[in-house]
Amino acid sequence: MLLSIENLRTYFYSRSKRAFVRSVDGASLSVGRGETLGVVGESGSGKTLAALSAAGLVAGSPGVIGGRIEFKSRNLLDGLERYVKVQERDGRVSAVEKDERGWARRAERLMSGVRGKEIAMIFQNPRAALNPYSTVGAQLVEAVRLHTKWKSKGEAKERALHWLERVRIDSPRLRFDNFPFGMSGGMCQRAMIAMALCAEPSLLIADEPTTGLDATIQARIVELLGELKAGTGITTLLISHDISVIRRLADRVAVMYAGTVVESGAASQVLRPHATEQHPYTTALLASVPSAEAIRAKSALQAIEGEVPDTTSVPRGCRFYGRCNRVTDAVRSRCANLEPPPSEIEPGHKLRCWLHAA
Amino acid sequence: MRRYVEAGTVLHLPLLQRATALDLLYVSYGLLIVALVFASYLIGALGWLPHDPRAMNVALINAAPFTPGHLLGTDFLGRDLQARLILGIQAYFVPGLLAITISIVGGSVLGILAGYRGGAFDTLVTYFANLLDSFPRLVLILLVIAAFKADIYYVMVVVGITGMPAIASLVAGKIAFLRQKSFIEAAHALGLPAHTVILKHILWLNCRAPLVIQATLGMAEAILIETSLSYLGFGVQEPTPSWGNMVLAGANYFLQGNFWPSTAPAAAILATILGFQLLGDGLNNLLEGKRR
Repeated sequence: MLLSIENLRTYFYSRSKRAFVRSVDGASLSVGRGETLGVVGESGSGKTLAALSAAGLVAGSPGVIGGRIEFKSRNLLDGLERYVKVQERDGRVSAVEKDERGWARRAERLMSGVRGKEIAMIFQNPRAALNPYSTVGAQLVEAVRLHTKWKSKGEAKERALHWLERVRIDSPRLRFDNFPFGMSGGMCQRAMIAMALCAEPSLLIADEPTTGLDATIQARIVELLGELKAGTGITTLLISHDISVIRRLADRVAVMYAGTVVESGAASQVLRPHATEQHPYTTALLASVPSAEAIRAKSALQAIEGEVPDTTSVPRGCRFYGRCNRVTDAVRSRCANLEPPPSEIEPGHKLRCWLHAA
Repeated sequence: MRRYVEAGTVLHLPLLQRATALDLLYVSYGLLIVALVFASYLIGALGWLPHDPRAMNVALINAAPFTPGHLLGTDFLGRDLQARLILGIQAYFVPGLLAITISIVGGSVLGILAGYRGGAFDTLVTYFANLLDSFPRLVLILLVIAAFKADIYYVMVVVGITGMPAIASLVAGKIAFLRQKSFIEAAHALGLPAHTVILKHILWLNCRAPLVIQATLGMAEAILIETSLSYLGFGVQEPTPSWGNMVLAGANYFLQGNFWPSTAPAAAILATILGFQLLGDGLNNLLEGKRR
């Protein structure tokens, strides 16, 4: 495994709720070399924060609390537990003590040479992710000189142009001197992808790379990502709430709900329509997305009842219990009172649901 | 035509298209003044003056302008006014640059500390700014003069330090605003070291325009303070010329009908400070896209 995240916890203090929000609460997922792991879930399920935590980019307090983030057999959170103390009562976090400075110093040491070089990121809303006061070329050259052996300006420019060509930006020599505002959203995203890939990282984290782009541009970017994956064999952590994007690009899928991973497995296993061996949340998620079949049958889309629970207080039982429509009387008491353990129902396919518990 | 723009947005128009005629007028007048001041400074520094500014001519006391050989006339000791005006720039040019350098460098450092470290630093910088604001600037300067000596460099250090809080709050505000922007997050994600992000992406790329504007306004302030102190007799001392002490020296003869020995330096002060102020204003409209 190139990256494996275990029991990751990332909390924030919400002033309006006067409580700690457990945005990521015990999430575990792993990505193997060369594969693409798609992370799906509703807004607020913690998928973006899990990725930001892996890249050491969580801003805000208290932030990452604990867990393991193993990257190339090195724990990026190694020895950080001693800077944090958490007090919990009845599923609510009542106090967090964190030595921010000590944590930051150690985390910085663990992340040096990893962030940007080994783990690169692309964001949603690419135009905002480029510095508006600097040309695309200058920003790309900066990235090339920082992370690769091409240190001189001329060489770095050649390399930057090579990458602009690689991400299929037309007339890269002209685009090189463009400011971000002179380019379309799709172009900006291509430039961002070039910036992320020029360091030839081992892992690319793509955080909603197509959100906020026009539908036609979205398809192009997905196409490009697929092409680059085939060409470079790069390992990708793809975060999206767009099931069709995940279906198109991901080899394996992890479904996140209320801060934890409720189901993970091969894309074909997890995203199988009308499957019984599936987490009720995944089923509901798939039913809320239009499929060719559903459109032909003119059947109505099904929204998932209720909302993502307030993660300030974690219920004793299953996190999806309140919204689940598959609870049977046989398991009801367990669903309400005990958190389901992960169980492997097929090789590589794990679920956290009492209906499928071994 | 008036354009309404949200503060902090980048105007996506070529510079000259979004300029109003008035802005261009301000900026070109300001640049002309800056060029004149700089050229005059060089002339004075290299000693290429039309006359010896210290040479007295008792036969030509308070000579009127356009007297042959003296374009602007002479003062009460018969010294050439034009040469003294040019040499008067020496009194504020380098000290003024020192003052704005101190306030920009010091203010940026404080602003970065307040903006990035936040918390205690932010409070400290705010207290420092309040402390300086609670003192009238001129009183502080006179205190320093009384404690040390009437040296223009001492004065300019005070001017520089008292100018720091304004720059600090500007930079801190910019940082607070930019930190939420995803391109700064993206710069961190790219693995750029924190000092590169702060110095290059925040200070250089995003703060240079407001800092240049602050520098021109700061120069106007420094000139004003130098000339007023010299006028009061605390700044540059006779026989070294300064526009301030020239106005003072000429004032004694003003009511006798010899208005030019004081009017010429006063007009120079007016034109120069107006130039720097208008340049700052015009640049603010052009580069920042907002009205002050």
